[in-house]
Amino acid sequence: MLLYDIDVITPSSLDEALEILSSRKGRVKVVAGGTDLIIQMKDGIIPRMDLLNIYGLDELRYIKLDDNDVIRIGALTSFSEIAGSEIIRRYAKILAEAASTVGSIQIMNKASIGGNIVNASPAADSLPPLYALDAIVKVASSRGFREVPIESFYRGYKKLDLAEDELVCEVRLRAMSDDEDGVFLKHGLRLGDAIAVVNAAIWVKRDNRSGLFSDARVALGAVAPTVVRARRCEQLIINRRLDDDSMWSAARAVLESISPIDDVRGSAEYRREMSVNLVYMGLWELTHRSG
Amino acid sequence: MIFKFRSISKVLILRSGENLYVRCGNAVVRRFSFVLNGKPVEVEVPPAYTLLETLRNVLHLTGTKDGCSDGDCGACTVLLDGRAVHSCLTLMAQVEGRSVTTVEGLLRDSSPDEVQSAYAESGAVQCGYCTPGLIMATKALLMSNPRPSVEEIKEALRGNLCRCTGYAKILEAVLRVRR
Repeated sequence: MLLYDIDVITPSSLDEALEILSSRKGRVKVVAGGTDLIIQMKDGIIPRMDLLNIYGLDELRYIKLDDNDVIRIGALTSFSEIAGSEIIRRYAKILAEAASTVGSIQIMNKASIGGNIVNASPAADSLPPLYALDAIVKVASSRGFREVPIESFYRGYKKLDLAEDELVCEVRLRAMSDDEDGVFLKHGLRLGDAIAVVNAAIWVKRDNRSGLFSDARVALGAVAPTVVRARRCEQLIINRRLDDDSMWSAARAVLESISPIDDVRGSAEYRREMSVNLVYMGLWELTHRSG
Repeated sequence: MIFKFRSISKVLILRSGENLYVRCGNAVVRRFSFVLNGKPVEVEVPPAYTLLETLRNVLHLTGTKDGCSDGDCGACTVLLDGRAVHSCLTLMAQVEGRSVTTVEGLLRDSSPDEVQSAYAESGAVQCGYCTPGLIMATKALLMSNPRPSVEEIKEALRGNLCRCTGYAKILEAVLRVRR
């Protein structure tokens, strides 16, 4: 289906965008890069309605590291910019790794992190790293600003803690320090440009004296209605001596946190198996890196 | 000269039947200005018309190919402000005020540029449908990285599908033009 009968409103500032969202509550859909939304609208997956095109709002394109070791990423920042950013590569490397696997260069050049967050695909590649890094989503409306931890931003499959007049304007992370490490893992059906069958991000904090992980977060995507934290798995790697057996046990514990479905990219059973394998691979990688 | 949506309504009817004609009747048409291959242009099209539709149906620049219309194949790749994007996933409202380069824009005094020549000389074409997209993705790569490694070339072209060549000659073409 083509989009000839759809109007596109293009605001020239964030304030104007918020005014339009407020006055046309629920009757306008925000388009950022549009790399998924345009397909969904053409295919009739989402209702056809007029679009609020924020693609030109450069004030929402930035990556900043402030004095308190907080990284701020503007919602319209593209995955190319994130993957290539020195700040992200150094202080949030699992997000940089995820950003570079989001899709083809063409997709990475246009797709934005805010779009990925609001599109709320359970398979979105940026989300497991944002969960693992305990990101905060900053939401703007003409009523003011609001901050929501990433995990509570998602209430169910494609259900967001986001009112009709609100816009995601920024995502905030704490910069990783030298005693922290992490990996991003993605299993797709081809390397170039594929939606994840399963993806995962693991963040750990090393205790330099004991060599154990004093803290850990494990997040998986495409295996539940939203990205999930594998809390049982986390418990099994925090302050434990990790050998091959205990890593497999911890990896198998992710099964308690996931509820995958069968779809075109893989069966639920396959996803369960791949989730365990991916987390084991990640733990192996992290324990074999010099601490 | 302003290129108007109206002028192609017949083409649209031919392409998609009567339903589309009704849609055209409802269409909001707006004027967009942008720089195309170095020259300013204005078009009057529906704002949710894609850049690909505008290039092919309104401006009759058919070098840019419509492969999947879904952002999977890369055949429609153009440069938007110097970066490779899918023209099939770019709305005209997103193009306003920006600069677009298509494969036609690479010609210098009607002669192919070095990337186009390299593809021809290496025989990196077979049916040719993916070629303009690959050439634009190659162009974007070389603009940001004039001496890419083989791995970097494969990375940069991973979003462009070719079902004929097996990619060996495409890689050869890019290596030929690499500085």
